[in-house]
Amino acid sequence: MEKNIILKVENLNVDFGEDKVIEDLSFDLKEKELLVVLGPNGAGKSTLLKTLLGLIPYQGKIQWRDSVHIGYVPNEFVVPENLPLNLKEFFQFKKDTPEKIFQALKWVGIEGSEKILKKKLYTFSSGQLRRTLIAWAMSDEPDVLFLDEPMLYIDIHGRETIYDSLVKIWEEKEQSIILVSHEIGEICKKADKILALNKRKLFYGTPEEIINPQNLAKIYGSPISL
Amino acid sequence: MDLQFLYSLIVSIFIGGVAGYLGSLMVTKRMALVGDALGHAALPGIALALIYGFNPSWGAIPALLLGILLIWFFEIHTKLPMEALTGIVFTASVAIAFLFLPESEVSTALIGDISKISLSDAVFSVILSLTVFFILKKNFSKMILASLSEDLARVEHVDTKKYNFIFLLCIAIIVALGIKVTGSLLMGALVITPAAAARNIASNLFQYSFGALIIGAISCVSGVLLFKAFSLPAGPFVILAASSMFLISLAFKKQ
Repeated sequence: MEKNIILKVENLNVDFGEDKVIEDLSFDLKEKELLVVLGPNGAGKSTLLKTLLGLIPYQGKIQWRDSVHIGYVPNEFVVPENLPLNLKEFFQFKKDTPEKIFQALKWVGIEGSEKILKKKLYTFSSGQLRRTLIAWAMSDEPDVLFLDEPMLYIDIHGRETIYDSLVKIWEEKEQSIILVSHEIGEICKKADKILALNKRKLFYGTPEEIINPQNLAKIYGSPISL
Repeated sequence: MDLQFLYSLIVSIFIGGVAGYLGSLMVTKRMALVGDALGHAALPGIALALIYGFNPSWGAIPALLLGILLIWFFEIHTKLPMEALTGIVFTASVAIAFLFLPESEVSTALIGDISKISLSDAVFSVILSLTVFFILKKNFSKMILASLSEDLARVEHVDTKKYNFIFLLCIAIIVALGIKVTGSLLMGALVITPAAAARNIASNLFQYSFGALIIGAISCVSGVLLFKAFSLPAGPFVILAASSMFLISLAFKKQ
């Protein structure tokens, strides 16, 4: 494996019984690279992330560089109503100190205070919870950050804030990021590579090579206006 | 104070406290009724213990271990929800128990009998309760994380299959011990009610889990004291004490 490559995927296949979810996929992830995985609903994007994380069985080859530390933001994360889990306790799953918590919250644009440490997670808005989850995943400074549809259930203003936070994190940190999305956002233009997926690899290249009306129509099955 | 009563009091404090602490996790993992169901799954073992004259908890333990092994095995092989599998195992157990449980022992099996506890029973109960408490306390945060998102927990290197098994084992031990206090019919309430009451008044996870522990212990002490005062079975008093604390907690419910 080349020195600056963190992850190399070769001939990856995933199936759920008869249903082939990912077919013969190959790509790699380099240090400090932002890879956006695009595709319509049901294209196998979340399955790809879970497979790379070792959560789903597969055929093919997934090769990680030694001792890579991963941070993960799943697309579904619900805190049960009335569970008295506060923000400080949530970060203590990672044994973080208040200083580390404040630093991680700052990365995602949340002002750290004693008051917010005591706030129960189920009282957070969807956007606040998403940003908290990103901060949580980032708090122990992973080498690679996996984000599965981080804008799900977030309004336009919230999306901008989260996109801004992500771009800032990526520009300031030494992390690689794999971001799964079913929509074309501003972050696609900043990406190093785009992997367009619909069960199999449709396109893999730079945003300039991939993001154009003809390719997007092919990815999504109908014309998309940019 | 007679020794027998002292043993009953000590045993009930430890079992009630740890049952409450365990309940805080069970309610979070939406497994509140599993304690109830496992109480019933223990019935064949309790029936055998009552027929052959030994401590019902020691009869309940193998029956429960068999029950949870079956539930765990079925869950892995069928992917059906744990509550459905628990339902299948517990109803089959009740059916088996009632084929050979003597009519004269039905009341003891269903609502417990704390009046006959030997020193060795008391020592074993306290040691087992403490063991379960320390296992749960050590793994509490991992179990809470797994209940929020199993995928997230696995990425953080939490072996969720292993922890589910440990958790079921802890439930089985506490249910087996708790049967002595409340019987199989009321066992579910000993884990659910203190946790539900604590959840109403807690500001954080620590207050929630230790609040449930304290409410569980107080319920059991109150039940045993009322049993001494009125010479009626302790089990129903324990559960009524816990239910009263749940009602009181509603008045202090935090938003």
